[in-house]
Amino acid sequence: MQVEVRGLTKLYNLDRGLRPTSFVVRQGELIAVVGHNGAGKSTLMKMLANWILPDNGEAMIDGILLKNRTAVVGKVGFVPEVPNLFDFFSVEYNLKLFAYLFRMPFSRVDEVLSEFNLRPFRKNKIQTLSKGLKQRVNIGRALLANPSVLLFDEPTSGLDFEMTKELYRLLKNIHAAGKTIFFTSHRPEEIKTLATRILVLHEGSIIFDGSPKEYFQSQVHENLYAL
Amino acid sequence: MIRNILVLTFNDLLIAIKNKAIYLIIFIPFFVFISLNFIDKPNADSSPLEIGFIQHEAYAPAIIDSVAAAEQVITMTWIQNEQEGKTLLKEKKIDGILLRNKNAPDSLTLLVLKKESLHTIVIVESFLALQKAAEGNRDAWIADIEALYAGGIQRQTLPTWILMIVLLIGFIILPAQVAEEKEKKLILALLQTPINEFEWLLAKTLTGMVLTMVAVLILHLLGGFGVVDLTGYIAFIAVGGFCFSAYGVFLGFLCRNQASARTLGVVFYLPHLLPSALSDFSQQLSSIAPLLPSYQFYGPLRAILLEDGTMANLSFEWSYLLLVGTLTFFFSYLLMKRRWLMK
Repeated sequence: MQVEVRGLTKLYNLDRGLRPTSFVVRQGELIAVVGHNGAGKSTLMKMLANWILPDNGEAMIDGILLKNRTAVVGKVGFVPEVPNLFDFFSVEYNLKLFAYLFRMPFSRVDEVLSEFNLRPFRKNKIQTLSKGLKQRVNIGRALLANPSVLLFDEPTSGLDFEMTKELYRLLKNIHAAGKTIFFTSHRPEEIKTLATRILVLHEGSIIFDGSPKEYFQSQVHENLYAL
Repeated sequence: MIRNILVLTFNDLLIAIKNKAIYLIIFIPFFVFISLNFIDKPNADSSPLEIGFIQHEAYAPAIIDSVAAAEQVITMTWIQNEQEGKTLLKEKKIDGILLRNKNAPDSLTLLVLKKESLHTIVIVESFLALQKAAEGNRDAWIADIEALYAGGIQRQTLPTWILMIVLLIGFIILPAQVAEEKEKKLILALLQTPINEFEWLLAKTLTGMVLTMVAVLILHLLGGFGVVDLTGYIAFIAVGGFCFSAYGVFLGFLCRNQASARTLGVVFYLPHLLPSALSDFSQQLSSIAPLLPSYQFYGPLRAILLEDGTMANLSFEWSYLLLVGTLTFFFSYLLMKRRWLMK
């Protein structure tokens, strides 16, 4: 198993957050993590990205415990909902800084610029880019070290139709390259289009784990999003 | 590891340029330089000179009589001893002290804050005029002039300006930068690379030290201020820079965003600046100030810059600053490990 989560827990004020959660993921799965706001989706993503530390439990990526941060670095790429880039600097500077820190050659930056159609914007400052472009740079940065697991938190939040389509194309390409992908979403069409497996979180617990077909046939989706 | 730290430091310096924080580093020394040009221009004619006379000193009766008669020009202040006179002189309550000259008992030594000042010239001229009126052309009563501090008023204010710069970088610039990186999740992005918490903290502290050094250097170059013990001085500024940069990074970690970091910075800035910078002028402040790390930085600075002191006898101050810097660095490390207010 590529990702193993055992009893991972993080509670805020004793009720919100993630209750003890366990699941395993094989390489190449594209997993949609679905649930209402506050269900624990982002908490799960951030714990897998080492952004927040769990209260209990553990997770392993390729057999390495996540808390062994230096060993697991480069194996997980995280794309948060709000792009976290150095706004004052250019696209190229941002990518080169992280490529350097990841010990990757600068030729990798050129590859990413081409792969994500960012070459025309390479000298543009991040603060002058649209959210969609910033998100593309963010994804490019997450892929610099060629991680085997990618985590996307609400990747299409705030994007227009064209940018959303472009992002779906990117995600499919990344998945086709054999990467394991987690993404959080509220959008049924997004889940249908992209996911090979769905994890539904409700009040911090997994209430469904199965294929998109099973999900849409079951009452879970209807119950979850019933008006 | 060293390469990582240097790259992060370079990146932080570029951020300081981009977010205009560097303008403060350049502006403050210029502000100080311009301000100093407006100092040391006292209107000597507006009020009588206050001259200290030591009570048990055997002054020539002619001198005492002449000065007493010229009360509109010179006011006599009787003091217990030379030490009390020096304190009053530092507090600017008197303009000078008249002492018996050790080499020529019939003449006097004038002790002032600074030799090359308009005040000193006015005092000497006034006494020359009195002496001429009382005794005609004889040897001048004041045979020698000694200064309490080396350098002028500009130099006397230099430790305060340097303290301001160090505290400004430590308490205003760095906490805001740290809080911004927390707010925008940039620290978390960096921690997804092989960079570790210690490297990030060291790079940020080094950034503060570099900014401090550059600001102090500009101040010295513009003002033309020299230093006797240059190596000791540089080392001491570096230790002060370390202490207050680490302190500032810690303050940044206590805040969720830039706005609160700036507010907290000012809350720490003024209490550290004022008691230390004003400790010479108030007995109460003098008793509180030594508790502050800023005073342990300011005191030795004054000794080095104004009394041509060396670092030899300042082990307590060195240790104190290093201890505060190390402790705050360690607390920042703990908060960073816990991803404090980074969610």
